[in-house]
Amino acid sequence: MTIEDPHPSDQEMLLAADGELSPRREASIRAHLAGCWACRARMSELETTIRDFIELHRSGLDPALPAAAGPRALLKAQLAELAAGDRRESPLRLFPLSFARTVAVSLSAAVLATAAVMLLTHSSRYQRESSAIPEANLTPGATRPATREDVCRSEPDQNARLIPASVRQRVFESYGLPNARPEAYEVDYLITPELGGSDDIRNLWPEPYSSTVWNAHVKDALEDRLHEMVCDGTLDLRTAQHDIASNWIAAYKKYFHADKPLAR
Amino acid sequence: MPVTPPDSNSNELPLPVRSATALPFPRSDLESEVISLFDQLRNPLLRYVLSIGIRVQEAEEIVQDVFLSLYRHLRIGRSRSNLRGWVFRVAHNLALKQRESSRRQLGSAAGSGDLAERRRDPAPDPEEQMVRSERRKRLLAVLRALPEQDQACLYLRAEGLRYREIAAVLDRSLGSISISLTRSLARLHRADGG
Repeated sequence: MTIEDPHPSDQEMLLAADGELSPRREASIRAHLAGCWACRARMSELETTIRDFIELHRSGLDPALPAAAGPRALLKAQLAELAAGDRRESPLRLFPLSFARTVAVSLSAAVLATAAVMLLTHSSRYQRESSAIPEANLTPGATRPATREDVCRSEPDQNARLIPASVRQRVFESYGLPNARPEAYEVDYLITPELGGSDDIRNLWPEPYSSTVWNAHVKDALEDRLHEMVCDGTLDLRTAQHDIASNWIAAYKKYFHADKPLAR
Repeated sequence: MPVTPPDSNSNELPLPVRSATALPFPRSDLESEVISLFDQLRNPLLRYVLSIGIRVQEAEEIVQDVFLSLYRHLRIGRSRSNLRGWVFRVAHNLALKQRESSRRQLGSAAGSGDLAERRRDPAPDPEEQMVRSERRKRLLAVLRALPEQDQACLYLRAEGLRYREIAAVLDRSLGSISISLTRSLARLHRADGG
């Protein structure tokens, strides 16, 4: 409040109502409201608008919310599977949970049998043909407009690397792994977002955590190393993007000066 | 995006405070904790993701992803400060990626327009179904005309997030959140003949 305009603004009144002001300032505004009918009326209008918005918001969405029991049970099952760790799993054991994740539970026995065959075929092919390097025609790499300053402005945000389930599923399907176990692969960015990689599916691939020596954990180490080098000025961003997209294993050997992954 | 700062506001979830260097919880405790948070936050999160234009099935998947990510986050001993803000931020980021992916997949302008507008398309908008009065229609029209970020501010505040939490979710300044909320409520009030 100022001497010329002793009435608090709408913004101040909202901040006070939301408990976002200092106790002293909030007390000052409440004292003003106690003595000013005009401002009390404005505050009342503000609260009415909030009430109307909440009613509109809730009445529109709450009836559309599915019951929580099913998703809760699914989450518990997935957490239990996660907690079971990186035990080597047989594809047949993994099948039910992966499927439940993406589709409803009501599939016929015939479809299940067909899908199981597909799972075994594609999964074994993928493992056998070595998946340490993405297929260039499916995952050539893609970048967003970003400068060195952009990628080095803040600490790498792990949340930026999260990929929605439906996008992951598209990646699995493109690699012939429609029923892949999510926990067995990191659907990873070929060019990591911390190096300017984009969310485009051409920059995503299913990278196995444990089936090869050159696994997702090893690539994570390379990404950290390249980010450090770009940000300390010892490596050009475009070169880092090119090297990791061309052959990240070769890039690892080049930048770690090692022929095999170093222990972390 | 900056790391969400600890929130000292009173409506934060009553979560145990642990340092980042503390040993992780035993797995069974972590699972129980994540399920407990799911029980508290699933509906608010789902409402928010639906609000910003994601279909119900995809929104459920995003919420599942959020809590699986939360489990991993806690399992490796990362920060426990303001977990509510954390899960909303992860959900927000996943929802935007989902929307962008859907837009690319369709090769159409599905990603254009404001948040409320996308809630009608292509699935029937639950809100639309519930509109029963001219007054509500006016409010909904104004809501849909708000800038996307202003709508997101309102939806997050409606789910109980404090200003600093909203700022962290949307990667905006604290002051801009206050201005956005005030401006949006003024527009909604005027729509109601105020």
